[in-house]
Amino acid sequence: MNHLSEEQLIELYYKKDNPEAARHLDACSACARAYQALQADLADLKPADTPARDENYGVQVWNSIADRLPAYTREKRPWFRRPLWIGLSAASACVLLVAAFYAGRVWEHEQQPHNLALTVPAAPRPPRVVVVVLSDHLERSERLLVQLKHVNANDAELASPLRDEARSLLVANRKCRQEAEQSGDPALTKALDRLNTLLTTLANQPGGLNAGAIAQLQEQMDKDGLLFEVRVLRSRIPDRQTSANSPLKGGIA
Amino acid sequence: MGRMERNDHAAIRAVLSGDKNAYGTLVAQHSRAVFRVAFRITGNEADAEEVVQDAFLRGYRKLADFESRSNFGTWIYRIAVRCALDRIERRNGEAARVDIAADAEPEAVQVPDRAPGPEQLLLGCEIGAFCESAMHSLTPLERTAFTLRHMEDCSMEEIAEALEIAPNAAKQAVYRAVQKLRQRLALLKVRT
Repeated sequence: MNHLSEEQLIELYYKKDNPEAARHLDACSACARAYQALQADLADLKPADTPARDENYGVQVWNSIADRLPAYTREKRPWFRRPLWIGLSAASACVLLVAAFYAGRVWEHEQQPHNLALTVPAAPRPPRVVVVVLSDHLERSERLLVQLKHVNANDAELASPLRDEARSLLVANRKCRQEAEQSGDPALTKALDRLNTLLTTLANQPGGLNAGAIAQLQEQMDKDGLLFEVRVLRSRIPDRQTSANSPLKGGIA
Repeated sequence: MGRMERNDHAAIRAVLSGDKNAYGTLVAQHSRAVFRVAFRITGNEADAEEVVQDAFLRGYRKLADFESRSNFGTWIYRIAVRCALDRIERRNGEAARVDIAADAEPEAVQVPDRAPGPEQLLLGCEIGAFCESAMHSLTPLERTAFTLRHMEDCSMEEIAEALEIAPNAAKQAVYRAVQKLRQRLALLKVRT
C-alpha cells in the first residue's frame, strides 16, 4: 500500500473511523511518524479561551436589540397560506381525485350494457340498407316493366332507353338478390331471379331490341306475372321500413 | 423533543403571534453559545459581540421561515456562523492582512529542548499568539471551516450546511487550513 497522503492523515485525525488507514499506520513507520507530527501540530492549535460571559449576558443582548425589532402581526400570512388551509386544500384535492376516479369506474361499468344493447340491433342494419335499396330498385323495376309492357314493338327508338335502364338495374338487382339470399327471404330471392333473367335478356339482346324480341319479352313477362309480383313485393316494403328505427339512405342503387 | 426545545417552540409561536418580548427568552437562552462560536471564528471580543447581535436580529427577521421540527439552538448557531463569516470577510476587505513574518518575531522565542520550565511555558504562549496570527492568514472560509471542525467539533456535513457549500468544498477548506497552519508552525519550530 502507498503511504498515506496528508489529506488522508487529516481525515483520519478528525474521523478516526478508518480501520484500513489505522492498520497502515501500525505497519508503516514513516506514516506513523507523519501522523504523530500532525497530531502534535493540531494539538498546538488549541482554541483560545473564550472570554467569560455572566448569567445576565442574554438579557444584555436582548436589551441591546429589542428596540430594533418590530412586532410580528397576527395576520402576517394570508389565509390561504396558513397551514390549516393548505392542509385542507391538499385533502380536498385528494378526495376529488379519488371521487373522479371512482365516478369514472362506475360510469364505465354502467355504460357497458348500453354499449352491448346498441351493438345487438346493429346486426340487422344490412337488411335496413337492403330495404331502402330494394324499395328503390323495385320501384325502378316496376317502372321499367310497365314501360316494357306498353312499348310499341315497332318503335326501336323507344326501346333503346329501356335497354340502358335494364343494364343499370342489373347491377342493383344482383346485389339485392345477394342480400335477400343472405337474409333468408326465398320469395324475394325467387322473384329477383326471374327479374334478373328478364333484365339480362333485355340488356343483352343480340342484334339489339327489335320488334320480335320486345314481343317475346312482353309475352314472358305476362307469363311469369313478373309485374304483379314486383308490385306485391313493393307493397311489402312499407311494412319493413316501419319496423326499422332509422332507415339508411343512399346505398347501392 | 426536550423540555428546552418545547419552550423554544412555544416562545417562537408567541413571537409570531405578536409577543415580541417572547424572543427575549430565546436570546437569553442561546446568547452565550452564540458568543462562543462567534468569538472563535472572529478571534476578538468586539467582533463577537457584534456577531451575536447580528445573528439574533437576522434570526428574528427569518423566524417566520423557521421550521417547527428544527432545533432553534442549531438554527441560530448556523446564522451566527454566517454572520461571523460575513464579518471577517468585511474586516479583511477593510484592513490589510496581518504580516505573519513581521508579527511572529521568531528570533525572540527561546526554546529549550526538552526540559519543562519557564521557557517552555513562554514558548506555549508564543505558539498561541503565533497561531492566532496564523489564523488571520487563512481565508475567511478556511478559518471558519477549520474553527468549526477543529474547535467546535462539527462534522463536515454540519459545516457544509452552516456555510451553505458542498460537503466536499467544506472538506477541502479544512484541509487547506490545516496545511497552511502547519507550514506556519513548521517555520516557527525550525527557527527556534
